[in-house]
Amino acid sequence: MSDLELEPASFRDPASTVAYLDGRVLRGLTKDGAADFDTLAAAPFFAKAMDDGKLVRTTQVPVEDLPQSVRGDAWVRALEHERIPFVSYPYEWTFSMLRDAALVHLDLLLAALDADLTMKDGYAYNLAFVGARPVFIDVGSFERVRPGEPWAGYRQFCQTMLYPLLLQAHKDVRFQPWLRGAVQGIQPQDLAKLFSGTDKLKPGVLKHVSLHGAMDQRYSKSRAQDTQKELKAAGFSTELQKATVAAIRKLVARLEWGRSASEWNDYQKTSTYTDAERELKAAFVARALQGKGARLVFDLGGNDGTYSRVAANHADYVVCADGDDLVLDGLYRSLRQEGNHQILPAYLDLSDPSPALGWRGRERAAFFDRGRPDAVLALALLHHLAITGNVPLAELVDWLTALGGRLVVEFVDPTDPMADRLLANKPPGMHGDYRREVFERLLEARFDVVDRQELPSGTRTLYHATPRR
Amino acid sequence: MLAYLDAASGSLIVQAIVAGAAGAAVFFKLGWRRITGPFRRRAAAEHDER
Repeated sequence: MSDLELEPASFRDPASTVAYLDGRVLRGLTKDGAADFDTLAAAPFFAKAMDDGKLVRTTQVPVEDLPQSVRGDAWVRALEHERIPFVSYPYEWTFSMLRDAALVHLDLLLAALDADLTMKDGYAYNLAFVGARPVFIDVGSFERVRPGEPWAGYRQFCQTMLYPLLLQAHKDVRFQPWLRGAVQGIQPQDLAKLFSGTDKLKPGVLKHVSLHGAMDQRYSKSRAQDTQKELKAAGFSTELQKATVAAIRKLVARLEWGRSASEWNDYQKTSTYTDAERELKAAFVARALQGKGARLVFDLGGNDGTYSRVAANHADYVVCADGDDLVLDGLYRSLRQEGNHQILPAYLDLSDPSPALGWRGRERAAFFDRGRPDAVLALALLHHLAITGNVPLAELVDWLTALGGRLVVEFVDPTDPMADRLLANKPPGMHGDYRREVFERLLEARFDVVDRQELPSGTRTLYHATPRR
Repeated sequence: MLAYLDAASGSLIVQAIVAGAAGAAVFFKLGWRRITGPFRRRAAAEHDER
């Protein structure tokens, strides 16, 4: 029995639709979509972009692979794509991740323009990460270029990629909450209001934000169809589209988040762990995962990725989720430099993880609905959630149980300096049940504890626990 | 012919400016055509548009 599921976010473009069938990622194309794909498949950059890992690996499969019930009469061609191990969304990316994704998008568009193709959109969600490698996943975005037309996806690119980058690069304001608040991103007129005075002199602001915002307002009543004709008549050309995209690429390549560029190195020096403790923890994690054949591991509160790296030696893929984007951005830069395709940094406040978003709340799945981990690391995490976040211990253990995998968890005693620092911000006695005995009782009610180790500090204990079936 | 997205007129026009000098020329030509449009013969304009 085949289990077919339409991708809930794949409905906006009528020419191309994604569906999952028995673990395969398939795409159905209409007649128009197939004609665009033929041009793409014949373009020299297509195979190269796949080899370079910039474009999702795609093969043609018999259209009969799609069940008739789904195919109907509309789909005349079928493609199969490489599966992305765990999809994270732009509001879970750090600054450098969004910038690198934007560069891949623009590189592909420039290559396409040299091959009589363009892209019909400019959506950040058309990219995903495989470890630290951004990959463009919407092959249906490519279409044959229509001479004389500007890039139809420019506005969407601004809203979901360029504006978030400008916001963080020029104002040091995080873009993620805004993207999470609106899947269509930041409107030109909204961002224009935030850039005042000398901000307008910063790279990209005058043209892409101020002027764009003003034009947007001025021409809000004009019909895009008429405007396109007028532009063509005034001499707009594919060469000009290329010049536009090249100018945007040049701008994006020079955007930096100043703090990430400077503070990362300092951070590693201020960590509270001793090397001996670090090594013991690493060995404990390795022991727990060795030979278990874990496909997906969540390293929750994974911070600088130390234990994600250990886990990656014993698992196919590791998602390193943390609420400190500065540290994660540094991790991403290191992983990118190493060419790591196995560890995915994910910016996530674990006390408020990404919910389901978009049309009917189905377009973008909630973070924890996007994959079931075989193993979960929760090291130096629970005291933050329990003390700072006021989440009861029982609730925390419930949550870890629901994730479903084997568990490597650290309990930080209230007497530990780190926990003590957090407790000092709370009224005395408020977290009276935050004690090791209470935690162990809760843990043992749901899991079999197969290994435990007290660290030399005497205030931290590690547990390797498997869910009781 | 339009893409499935609403490309938005303002977002299309501003791209001429982004494209540099040659684009700016298109931008000003577009503005000029808009100003002089009403003075051109209506029939010719309609022929142009359809």
